[in-house]
Amino acid sequence: MPGGEKLVIIATHGIREPEMATIPFVMAGAALASDVAVVMGFQADAIELLKHGAVETVLAAGFPPLAKLFADVRDLGGSLLACSPCMKARGIAPADLVAGAEEVAAGRLIAEITSATTTLTY
Amino acid sequence: MTATAAELEALNVDKVIDARGTACPGPLLEAKKGMVSVPLGSTLEIWSTDPGTKTDISAWSAKVGHDFLGVLAADGYDRVFVIRRK
Repeated sequence: MPGGEKLVIIATHGIREPEMATIPFVMAGAALASDVAVVMGFQADAIELLKHGAVETVLAAGFPPLAKLFADVRDLGGSLLACSPCMKARGIAPADLVAGAEEVAAGRLIAEITSATTTLTY
Repeated sequence: MTATAAELEALNVDKVIDARGTACPGPLLEAKKGMVSVPLGSTLEIWSTDPGTKTDISAWSAKVGHDFLGVLAADGYDRVFVIRRK
């Protein structure tokens, strides 16, 4: 990981809460720009953000469009991990996820968290 | 490392990044992208209307290892100066 630091960000808010859906990506982008590796874990309603086209609809007052932030995070090398049971609970199939998103179970996320410098939860 | 206003005005800037109109973290991300497009030792000037950019770019430069030179107030925006060091 660049600079030896890794930040894990757990997002739990979906498209119905634009500000809370957006802030994790603000932090992820700033971390990546600072040469800190970023792994984002999407749980509960945040899993919706990984569906094709979902972020195109999200705009929080005072923030850049979520679609722009999402693209920046992917372009800068952020990892996007989708909670497997959260997907099943919402009828989301792996094919519904954007390119680069990876369906994972809790063990993988725990491995990321325990090897991270810091974890943020939203 | 900070420069006086006169020194900042006299700088030979290698690249200007116009991030006006973008909100946090837009100017920082634009600065990051701009940095990798110029050689080491180049001076970047970032234009921003986001009031947080001044402290954001300063803190980012310190963390990443660039030289933050300072800020000039312009007409409705800030001009932030940084030298790429890594």
